[in-house]
Amino acid sequence: MSDLAIDIRNVVKRYDGHVAVSDLSLAVPRGSVYGLLGPNGAGKTTTIRMLLNIIVPDSGTITLLGTPHRTRGLTDRIGYLPEERGLYKKMQVRRVLRFLAELKGVPGREADRRIDEWLERLELKTPERDWGLAKVDELSRGMQQKAQFIGTLLHDPDLVILDEPFSGLDPINAQALKDSIVELKARGKTIIFSTHLMDNAERLCDSVCIIAHGQKVLDGGVAEVRKAHSGRMVALAVEGDARARIAPVLGDKSLVARVDDNNRYYELELAPGGDAQLLLRRVIDTGVSITRFELVLPSLHQIFLERVGARGVEEGMSGHG
Amino acid sequence: MGKLLVVFKREYLERVRSKWYIIGTLLGPAFLLLILAIPRLFGDEAQGSRDVARIDVIDASGTGLGNRVADALRAKYPLSRGPYVRTVDAAKASVEADRSVLRVQREEVLGALLLDSATVAGDSVRYVGRNAGSHMDVDAIRNVVRNVVLADQMARAGIDAKQVDAFSHIRLDIHTQKIGDKGVEKGNPLAVMLLGYGVALLLYMMIVVYGQAIMRSVLEEKSTRVAEVVVSSVDTDTLLAGKILGVGLVAVTQVLAWVVLGAAALMYFPQIMGNGNHPAGVPDSSAAANAIAGAQGGASAAATLVKTGLPSVPLGATIALLLCFVLGFIFYASLFAAVGAMVNSQEDVQQAATPVMLLLVSSALFMPPVLANPTSNLAKTMSMLPTSAPIIMPLRMTLVPVPWIEVVGALAGVSSACAAAIWLSGRIYRVGLLMYGKKPTIRELAKWVREAR
Repeated sequence: MSDLAIDIRNVVKRYDGHVAVSDLSLAVPRGSVYGLLGPNGAGKTTTIRMLLNIIVPDSGTITLLGTPHRTRGLTDRIGYLPEERGLYKKMQVRRVLRFLAELKGVPGREADRRIDEWLERLELKTPERDWGLAKVDELSRGMQQKAQFIGTLLHDPDLVILDEPFSGLDPINAQALKDSIVELKARGKTIIFSTHLMDNAERLCDSVCIIAHGQKVLDGGVAEVRKAHSGRMVALAVEGDARARIAPVLGDKSLVARVDDNNRYYELELAPGGDAQLLLRRVIDTGVSITRFELVLPSLHQIFLERVGARGVEEGMSGHG
Repeated sequence: MGKLLVVFKREYLERVRSKWYIIGTLLGPAFLLLILAIPRLFGDEAQGSRDVARIDVIDASGTGLGNRVADALRAKYPLSRGPYVRTVDAAKASVEADRSVLRVQREEVLGALLLDSATVAGDSVRYVGRNAGSHMDVDAIRNVVRNVVLADQMARAGIDAKQVDAFSHIRLDIHTQKIGDKGVEKGNPLAVMLLGYGVALLLYMMIVVYGQAIMRSVLEEKSTRVAEVVVSSVDTDTLLAGKILGVGLVAVTQVLAWVVLGAAALMYFPQIMGNGNHPAGVPDSSAAANAIAGAQGGASAAATLVKTGLPSVPLGATIALLLCFVLGFIFYASLFAAVGAMVNSQEDVQQAATPVMLLLVSSALFMPPVLANPTSNLAKTMSMLPTSAPIIMPLRMTLVPVPWIEVVGALAGVSSACAAAIWLSGRIYRVGLLMYGKKPTIRELAKWVREAR
């Protein structure tokens, strides 16, 4: 048995002249939480749809859970939460969930048992009210999201694919989602999710892949990726209103390539050939009071900005979230 | 197969459980009965308007024909005011006619009947009037005049006046029976016609109603984005097939319920049909003859239909009929599904469905001419054309015997049209289901079809 949950090799998908995914290769280890990062239009959803055999790649191979991805019955082992969410509005919640479970091959009786369990767990079924008996459009948006999440997991999939799972979630549901992801991982499941929220990815993911314009920019374990980009980032904190005094130093392009200015806290990326010691000396020379000067591992957000660049940001990247 | 069943089950159960479906299924027969009963409630289905005799009779014949015609009209329409007879010179006839036109315009009379020497000779009579467009009224007047002229001529030939009266009141009903491949068929032809019309109308209605239901169902999955989840579990071909089969069975269920309920209603309340004097059951020919003799129109024929049992429709024809419905439904349903997958909103969908609706409505438009003359070339052509065959062939088949080679040919044609529609729609559906944004142009659609895999 392969120890990869997802093995994508040289996958290409073209649409009408433009290349949505170009020669993409990805390896997601079993039992890991994997983040697919990239600006809007980078090819994340296209990649996910190819994984699910909703669309067919022009070339390349995809292997899921050790099996070629077009194998009959394989999708029954995958849970999918699409970015665009929705359920049959006029249908009873229980019946929708039962339908989704049965589509994945769960027998009706077993589905009913699991639905009860999940409804209670996500507080859609309380002693006062069983929302499972209501129609979907009687539920609030947050409750509908919960119901959809239940639908994704009812068949206890080995591989869970979440497309932008955090978008549009209220903080309580976002927390519940995070807990569930952690719990799934603890039970040996593989979770891959796409997001453009770097903070979430950095906290949750074992490994990440950043894609832009349909191409892989980098991938690997979060720790390794950050380490590989270390030595170039400096965290600098100063006391008082020192902005004017240190501005010339930070503006020296031979020393500092980029500044992320957080008012009294700066994240600096050293220029190629720039020396951290020289930078420290120059800052001291300005006479400001330094409270922190540290060579740090860059955040995913920083790495993302560095590797995808401002262009990616303009194309819909929303950075911190 | 398992997934097909899951999709099928959902489509079927969700629909059959819905409140409106249940109401429609229960009230369908009641509505039908109401439509059948309305002409009887007004009681004038066969007589035409009661005011037929409120006319000017301009007698330029110089034989007193006018007064005799007027008497006959009065006898036939005792409640009507008039007629008003003016006996005039042949030369003045046109002036008098103009006067009557004015009277008609002032609503003093309904029309004017011009009797002249040609009328006496039995050649022609003129009628002008508001109701000149009503076949029933015009026929009634013509018959009255004809009988009077006939009586006059017989009297001139020396036949006794009493006998003349008796002769001119001969009532001759025609009792017809259809001859099929197995000889004389049970059931009366009026009932056969009604059955044919009913079957064709029902097929048409079911395709329109449930074809569009499929279209809306596809659109719903698309616009609520449920499609995203569903197609990650089941391939689009299975989804489409399950949908069409599920909704198709909903339609069949409804028709069956209507047939059972309708038959029960006619069985237990035959007086609704105004023909309750025969005991129900006993499908013998004398009952049929009695029933049809007393029948006044389609409504009673419907009662007769039930009393005498269905006109014999052989098993082969029943199967062909069923195939017509199934294939026709699949053909139109898959086209409707493609339309649903093409668009994104309720506003766009009606417009996008227009070509499919036109195909359907144009088939229905040919129902009356085919009904009137089921052996015509038009009927043959329309019953063979794949787009109209599902509706016209059953109609033709119930009316007249159709050579089996034609039935098989039509079914083969519809089958291939079906295969083409499924192929085309399957591709549009696959791509369209996850395609949001504006409505595709024809060129974009062609690209979807080419590129779908």
